[in-house]
Amino acid sequence: MTRIFFATDVHGSEVCWRKMINAGKFYEADVLVLGGDMTGKALVPIMQEGNIFKVSFLEQELTATEKDLPGIERMISDRGYYPLRVDEEMVEALNQDKELVERTFTGHVLETAERWMRYADERLSQWGIPCYVCPGNDDMFEIDEVIDRASHVHLCEGKAIELDKDWTMVSTGWSNPTPWDTFRECSEEDLLVKLEEAMALAPGMDRTVFNFHVPPFGSSLDEAPELDRDLRPKFAGRSLVPVGSHSVMEVVKKYQPPLGLFGHIHESKGVKRIGKTICMNPGSMYEQGVLLGCLVDLDKNGVKKYVLTSG
Amino acid sequence: MAEVGMFVRKASGLVRAWSVFDAFIYAFFSINLITLGLYIFSFAPFIPEGHLVIAIIISAVFILFEIVVYAMLISAMPRAGGDYVWQSRMLGGGIGFVLAATGWWFILWHWVPLYASMLAYEVVVPLLTIIAGWTGSKGLLGTALWFMDVNGLFLTCLMVIGLAFVYVGLGMKWYARIQKTCFYIAMVGLATVFIVLLASSNSSFMASFNSMTASLFGAEGDVYSSIISQAAQEGYTPVAWGAMPIWASMPLIPMVVFFNMWPNWGATLYGEVRGASDFRRNFSGMALALLVTTVLAVIFLALIAKTIGWDFYHAANWTFWSGSSPLPVFPYPGLLAAFLTQNPLLQVWIIITMSAWFFGWAGTVFLSSTRMIFAAAFDRVLPEWVAQVTPKQRVPFNALLLLAIPSIITSALYCYTPNFATYTLDATVVIAIMYLGTTVAAILLPYRDPQLYGSSPVARYTIFGLPWIVVAGVIFIIFLGYNLYMWIVDPVYGVNHPTSAVYMVILYLVAIGLYVGSKWYRRKQGIDLDMVYKNIPVE
Repeated sequence: MTRIFFATDVHGSEVCWRKMINAGKFYEADVLVLGGDMTGKALVPIMQEGNIFKVSFLEQELTATEKDLPGIERMISDRGYYPLRVDEEMVEALNQDKELVERTFTGHVLETAERWMRYADERLSQWGIPCYVCPGNDDMFEIDEVIDRASHVHLCEGKAIELDKDWTMVSTGWSNPTPWDTFRECSEEDLLVKLEEAMALAPGMDRTVFNFHVPPFGSSLDEAPELDRDLRPKFAGRSLVPVGSHSVMEVVKKYQPPLGLFGHIHESKGVKRIGKTICMNPGSMYEQGVLLGCLVDLDKNGVKKYVLTSG
Repeated sequence: MAEVGMFVRKASGLVRAWSVFDAFIYAFFSINLITLGLYIFSFAPFIPEGHLVIAIIISAVFILFEIVVYAMLISAMPRAGGDYVWQSRMLGGGIGFVLAATGWWFILWHWVPLYASMLAYEVVVPLLTIIAGWTGSKGLLGTALWFMDVNGLFLTCLMVIGLAFVYVGLGMKWYARIQKTCFYIAMVGLATVFIVLLASSNSSFMASFNSMTASLFGAEGDVYSSIISQAAQEGYTPVAWGAMPIWASMPLIPMVVFFNMWPNWGATLYGEVRGASDFRRNFSGMALALLVTTVLAVIFLALIAKTIGWDFYHAANWTFWSGSSPLPVFPYPGLLAAFLTQNPLLQVWIIITMSAWFFGWAGTVFLSSTRMIFAAAFDRVLPEWVAQVTPKQRVPFNALLLLAIPSIITSALYCYTPNFATYTLDATVVIAIMYLGTTVAAILLPYRDPQLYGSSPVARYTIFGLPWIVVAGVIFIIFLGYNLYMWIVDPVYGVNHPTSAVYMVILYLVAIGLYVGSKWYRRKQGIDLDMVYKNIPVE
């Protein structure tokens, strides 16, 4: 029997990544799988003014001295943001120059990813637990190289990975189009091609796990707030609409693997059976530093048991 | 100085803030002034020394602390399933399931007959009565009165279940639209009633009322005065409108909270809301609903006192519930306002627009409960099938059946079994106990999970060095404690009957049995339910 721990959409949260790496030992999992969207969405400037530092975060204005900074930076990074020490000149420059923001962002994302890989390698080497990562639509392409350089964290985009002697996992972090024009999104037609290419690598569907970032359309694992033209949630965010992928639904229905692991829609935690396939989206609470996940036991006959965790 | 805000990159899920007004509408309907409020206000004569206005205002002040507690919990732990998730994570899975299953699931079966009573008394009967008066149809009037009987009530129970089934089946996308439309219609209806009451005098109401009761029900003479004298004969004398007996009004609070304790009713849904961690928006939506409802309630009661007559309003309610009223229908102020005009179109307009208060609210009977059931299923406490949705329409059919089928049974018991109606008065008690559990969870949050609390936007709200969530929680617990004490010791609320207590205990035992059974079964499957809630240590 093989036990998988799957989590997704940690979005730069330092504490969620650390929990992810420690989850293998804690849950006695044999394999760790991280779905897409590892990287954070925002830089939080910490403005230096003489000997004090000012930061606007969590709806409050914080003032700190040098010795308080590590705690504040930790709080920012645990919630999935990148702390950025700046002076007034730098803030002006960032406000004026979008490319500078992009470059600064990329630098922080990669630096964080390098640190994460070192942390993972150090621990996973002791425990002998592999971790498979498939960047999602929000993850810039440069991150793949960083993951590739790690020894115990493995990039699995577009690959068929042997989870044990019986089970194979095929993965993609690409998604159907979103309103935000993110890094790894494409048309439904192109997504279908990518999915089919990944599946062609699997030896047989009866012992295959789908690890696709975007959930199947209309599966109830893909319900996101309906947005107006200004990207404002309608009806206080209570009106939900399916935003998953038709292509993913098509391949799930067509190939019927025993297990499908999905993410992308943080609020749509749940389990859904589509034919013979148990589809799961553990959701994401990265901003609260809580790692939502699925613990799945696979044996020769299929999915033996599962549980959604909130760690 | 340069502006210091966050710098964001292109990433999915970056949305603007949602509208507080939209959040306000859901909370506003949850503490429904017309449907719930006017219904419970009709019981005020049973505490004759108390004044409704004082009870409404004082209870609203305390319920503000409930809003602080829930808005902070939502902000710190925005999870679908609300009370169940907060309690299970802070107090343990067993306590969380037992309190939430009783408070969000079992007890909602017992709310159906209450919803049905309000549908009958405040929508169906007034509408049929007005149309009967317009057309002169004795058949329609007979049908209206039939709805006051048990068979009519059972039919309205089925109508409520059907309506809630449709609303939940349509999903939040459509329910939110229906609710917003109903909000505008309901406000137009209320404005119409206010204008009619404002433009009329007490003497014109007396004349209209006597005329309408004569033509509709064949009542003779001065029915208005006879209702007042009938109540007086039975020993009832209402407190004067101008009197402000604060202490004597306190016992009215456990009655009034039947309508205004629910601004947090949408809490189980917040896990689905992107941006739910925004404390100020969560708080504003609910607090605004409470404030507006309280103000509207005071205005409405003042207009009732001015035009309908304070003594008459209470006497009509007293005699209706004592069964001695010459008015055979519920003295619904919407209907009484409609009596003030001779124009049948305006009468129908008033009743129909005011009925939007019910139709915008009716989905709440099942909607939040489905989220609790889903959350328990995702934790593997309930079986997976209860959280399944139909493939095409995405209807949570099984969860709905778990609500609808027992609701039909309890409705039948309510309508056809003597004394069962008394048990349904526990509906408020059981939810209050669940709120108590959630409030305890809120108070413990900063100490049980300091990391989670400390990284939330609400951690900065302190008073005298204590977290606001703790202070607000303690104040709300005192308020809940007062209400629970009064419900237990005072028979006027109808919930301190020994049989009723046994019935409540049975509900809790069923929930305990379900949890223990589930835990045993999952262990047999090799699943440790405690694992669901355990925090992963970071090395």
